Amino acid sequence: MIASFWPILMVDVGGSMLMIVLSFLCIGLARRLQGVDPQNVIWTYLFWLCIGLAGFAVSRSAGHILKQALVLSGQKEMWAEIRPFSGAINTFMFVFLASVTLFFERVWKIYEQITADKVALGRAHTELLNLNQNLEQIVTERSRSLAVSERQYRRIFEVSRDMILVVDSQGRIVDINPAGCRELGFGEPGTTPKGERFQVFFEHEDDWRQLKAAIERDGFVANSEITLRRLDGSAMRSLVSASLAVEPSEKEPTIHFQVRDIERRHMAREQMAQADRLASIGQLSSGIAHEINNPLGVILGYTQLMLRSEPGESDRRRDLKTIEKHVRHCKAIVEDLLNFARRSEPKKEKVDIHKTIDDVLAFIRQHSGTNRIDFRTDYDRRLPAMVLDEKKIKQVLINLLMNARHAVGDAGEIRVATAYSPESRQAAIRVTDSGYGIEAQHLQHIFDPFFTTKPTGEGTGLGLSVSYGIVKKHGGEIQVESRPGEGATFTVLLPVLESDSGGSG
Amino acid sequence: MVGKLIDIRVLRIVALALLAGLLLPGSVPAVQEHGAPEGIYSHQGAHVFFAASMGLLIFWLRQRRLVREPGWRWIQYAALFFILWNIDAFTAHFLDEQSGVLDTAMAAPGQIKIEVDDHLTSLAWLYYMAKLDHVLSVPAMLFLYAGLRRLLRDARQRRAGAGSP
Repeated sequence: MIASFWPILMVDVGGSMLMIVLSFLCIGLARRLQGVDPQNVIWTYLFWLCIGLAGFAVSRSAGHILKQALVLSGQKEMWAEIRPFSGAINTFMFVFLASVTLFFERVWKIYEQITADKVALGRAHTELLNLNQNLEQIVTERSRSLAVSERQYRRIFEVSRDMILVVDSQGRIVDINPAGCRELGFGEPGTTPKGERFQVFFEHEDDWRQLKAAIERDGFVANSEITLRRLDGSAMRSLVSASLAVEPSEKEPTIHFQVRDIERRHMAREQMAQADRLASIGQLSSGIAHEINNPLGVILGYTQLMLRSEPGESDRRRDLKTIEKHVRHCKAIVEDLLNFARRSEPKKEKVDIHKTIDDVLAFIRQHSGTNRIDFRTDYDRRLPAMVLDEKKIKQVLINLLMNARHAVGDAGEIRVATAYSPESRQAAIRVTDSGYGIEAQHLQHIFDPFFTTKPTGEGTGLGLSVSYGIVKKHGGEIQVESRPGEGATFTVLLPVLESDSGGSG
Repeated sequence: MVGKLIDIRVLRIVALALLAGLLLPGSVPAVQEHGAPEGIYSHQGAHVFFAASMGLLIFWLRQRRLVREPGWRWIQYAALFFILWNIDAFTAHFLDEQSGVLDTAMAAPGQIKIEVDDHLTSLAWLYYMAKLDHVLSVPAMLFLYAGLRRLLRDARQRRAGAGSP
């Protein structure tokens, strides 16, 4: 068969050239693919595949072009020499290209693994990010709650009316609230009992030892009654609760104390007991006084009748006078007892209390018998005129001032002060003397009828009882504060009624 | 699993062949001699190996459903044309070696004479057609070029959109 050789030649030479051009164009594309994502192993694989193809295309096409050129130019022998090399290179490039192709499956698996890892990494990163954000949010919320809680507890600590304090194992005060500072007498700004040993504030050292032993044994103490001593030396009966706190963050355990001041409660209880006792005595006294008063009236009446018929200075008249004097004395005592028992109603009228005090002071000065006693006054001018039984209030003031004068002796100071509290509408009259004061054991008996520390014959012991009865009848209170060696202060508290108006000037 | 086994086997054969080539140089008396026919056998073997690797590539592309993407689909077509080209080239080489059955000579300027027995005229035409092998190899390269171009475009779009391919 004879056929045209030109189609074979044209296709062979043209195709070979196209193969070379296309293979290099493919390398260019693969390179650009790598540029898009240098980390992508598939693009790397395609790049090497294109390299193989280019090698194949070049080796084969160059051989074919050379062959056609040598054959057509009549140099078949030269082609016969070159042919084995060209064929061998061509064969090698086939094998290389085929080998690279076979790596596709492996490379794809690696690519899938990398992609899966990347996705997993991305997911883990997102989760971590969310977790981190959540964690931050949780931490922020917890911190906020903690701050709120801390503020609440701090507020409880700060505003508590009871003393709250923390001490270390040696009893040293680590922290104490403002109420505690005040209770212990550290009311002044800048003063604090922090660093002091709590046991120094105990009245009895044994109390501290027993308390500490109980805390160490049981871990707590509940409502133990302890007497504390303030910075100024005054006693404070207290209800103490404590618990042992062991915090991991602290080196040694601490003791948390809660101390409630029950001094006032005790005083109120004592005052109530005293009031009850005085009421009972008053009831008894009034019964006796009422029974005695009538016979005394009869005795006095008959004595006075008999005196009218006794002329001159006879012995009989002197005897009758003695009877009359003692009966009058008895009647005065009975009258006092009735006043103490609050049997007689006060005759109230509008009174300027400051003027009343001035009158009484003038009377006392006149009868003091010495000018070495310094009488001082300190009036609260806001105090309005009060509705009182002036005569009886004068009697109270005389009793208090006479006692004060007796307490200071020949020389000293007696101070009368008034104070007015518009909120409670209460007036206070304070009589303070610079005398020796009253012994603690006498304090609870001073308002008892016939209780006196004066020598026999110098006092009936009814002055303060009568004063007590009169003040009570006016709806008021009478209180005493005294410490041996530091004088005494009697305070008369009287209500200022709504009908009272205007200041006393 | 099958693909993996084929991989390992093929790689082992290739490795052994290369190792043998290095360790067994030509005319050492103690080793086997390699005459002229081995060249054509090696070349034909390489064609088979090339065609088989392209067949495996098509198999893997389809197995992973990559052919759904236009770029890989074009590459699949490239592999298919390379297989066809390998068959064509294998046939042409095979016929070239059949002296006595098929002989060629330049008849006149621009003409080729293909001598076959009278009853094998179709074989002469087959040989003539097989000699036009670039009709298959050039389209294969064009498909590869088109495939890579599409992959590049898609990769850029993905990059601009979500990031990685």
